[in-house]
Amino acid sequence: MPEPIVIFDDVSYAYPGTEELALRGVSLEIQAGEYVAILGLNGAGKTTLGLCVNGVIPTMLGGELTGTVTVAGLNVIEYPVREMAKVVGMVFDNPEFQMSQMSVAEEVALGLENAGVPYEDMKRIIPETLELVGLSGYEERSPLGLSGGQQQRLAIAAVLAMKPNILIMDEPTSNLDPIGKQEVFDMAAKLNRERGMTVIVIEHEVEVMARYADRVIVLDKGRVIMNGTPDDIFTRVTELATLNLRVPEAARVATLLAEKDLWQGPVPIRTEPAITAVNELLGATHA
Amino acid sequence: MSMQMALPIAMIPGNSLIHRITPLPKMIWVVGYIVLAFSTTNIVILYSMALFAFLIAVISGVTRPLLKACVILVPIASSLLALQIIAPAVEKPWTSVGHIGALALYGNGVYYGFVLLGRIVASLIMALVVVMTTHPSDLFTTFAKLKIPYTFNFMLAMTLQLIPVFQREVGIIMSAQKSRGMKGRGFSAVLPSFVPVFVGAIERVQQLSISLESRGFGSAGIKTSYRQVKSRPSDWVVAIVGVVAIATLATMSIMRGTWNLSTVILFPHAFVFWLFVVAASVFAAVILVTVFYMFKR
Ligand SMILES: Nc1ncnc2c1ncn2[C@@H]1O[C@H](COP(=O)(O)OP(=O)(O)OP(=O)(O)O)[C@@H](O)[C@H]1O
Ligand SMILES: [Mg+2]
Repeated sequence: MPEPIVIFDDVSYAYPGTEELALRGVSLEIQAGEYVAILGLNGAGKTTLGLCVNGVIPTMLGGELTGTVTVAGLNVIEYPVREMAKVVGMVFDNPEFQMSQMSVAEEVALGLENAGVPYEDMKRIIPETLELVGLSGYEERSPLGLSGGQQQRLAIAAVLAMKPNILIMDEPTSNLDPIGKQEVFDMAAKLNRERGMTVIVIEHEVEVMARYADRVIVLDKGRVIMNGTPDDIFTRVTELATLNLRVPEAARVATLLAEKDLWQGPVPIRTEPAITAVNELLGATHA
Repeated sequence: MSMQMALPIAMIPGNSLIHRITPLPKMIWVVGYIVLAFSTTNIVILYSMALFAFLIAVISGVTRPLLKACVILVPIASSLLALQIIAPAVEKPWTSVGHIGALALYGNGVYYGFVLLGRIVASLIMALVVVMTTHPSDLFTTFAKLKIPYTFNFMLAMTLQLIPVFQREVGIIMSAQKSRGMKGRGFSAVLPSFVPVFVGAIERVQQLSISLESRGFGSAGIKTSYRQVKSRPSDWVVAIVGVVAIATLATMSIMRGTWNLSTVILFPHAFVFWLFVVAASVFAAVILVTVFYMFKR
């Protein structure tokens, strides 16, 4: 098996000026090409974990980091964030705070300029990337004049243009309507499948994650408390409920039914197979 | 959007002759203006420079925003002239031109006052015209080519980029306060909104710098530019004319001391008297209006 692209080895971290640990003894591995969902309540340490992967922690923010974070073979402590940027692209939850340029095209160009990509290549990459996020034709618009969803897709385009191996998205759809959410996740899935990009998504939408993720990591008070496939994690319905975390509806209903012996077989986590199963069940009782 | 007021110091999009000149010749003109303004005390030269810069603003079609930005000159000009008349910054003996109550007015500092003002006016108008007719990205591309330190460039770019954001934020917060019944006009409305704006600003700046750094901002090594700045022969002409004209005038001034005309251009006593009355009244009005708006709730 190849070396994992992200390795956390017993990582603990406290923000500068705080005593409390935002991460406590986190150990995990992410393989290249995986689609990983990070779940957890507010303050669980999800954003902190993401910032460790792109090196903002500790290089930019300081604080106390123990243990080692290795990303694409690089110890993040030893590389400035701008170097890590070639490997990791990170998109944050507030897209407007990430816009700084006069036009959409220039916003996408920024990372390319910093990486020294020649002008001729930029002329090709920028429209390609905007096409990918559905913003073709917006090149000359001001980023500040876009809708929330468009801004978020622009923020994603701005890191995608740099062709990172790893894409981290921190609650990328919290400002988006259902269609906007769908677009962002479809896009991430496509990048993951077609380009083998490693995708790490911090997200509260369990339904969506049940559908797309290869793996789910649950954080609680800075600790990794669950780490496994969506089928493993989302079927632990009572455990998740005690943690106040959401559970996919399908799994919740099936578990309830199973308690009353109305459900046999594995607990589904996605809606469609659950509907099929319920229909079969209904068909059987009617017959 | 109505909330987005026109920025006095941002680029005003356009396609005038001046807009099409590349940043470097324009920067030469600005630097030249400042050098000349400080190497001469000839008010004919200084106010001709101001007039010339203003004509360029007219050609560029940025007259209105320029005049708006020049409002800042009102308190500067009025206080500067009034002060020179009651306390000239030249050696004694001073000759009194009249009295207002116990206050003696002197004419000796008036020429010097106009020199100081001329320097500010000429340099400011030229700098504003250039800023208003140049795409910021082109400006920074040129700075970078000139090997101006990256951090300086970075800070300037960040500041400029944050201005429209802040303006919008003030607009949003003001309308929020208006909807809670606060008066949404003037100084009194803007003042309380600064607190949330600055709290938000810290978060925003941190988030933006993380985001920029995550996209390789600040990396060493070769950088490229998406906006292409290509000089044409006309740009060279503008640059050379600027260098020659300014160097000539500056040399002539320096050879004549600073080409001071204070012994040639004399201001009648009545002129000085009324100049003081007007300047002092304008300055007092500015202060009163400011104080009035600050306490109006
Ligand atoms: N800049 C900071 N300075 C100090 N403490 C911080 C900072 N950012 C986060 N924290 C603290 O670290 C802990 C983890 O925060 P983090 O932002 O990683 O949580 P999260 O899981 O992303 O939460 P959310 O769902 O609200 O985004 C929290 O207790 C938080 O208060
Ligand atoms: Mg977070």
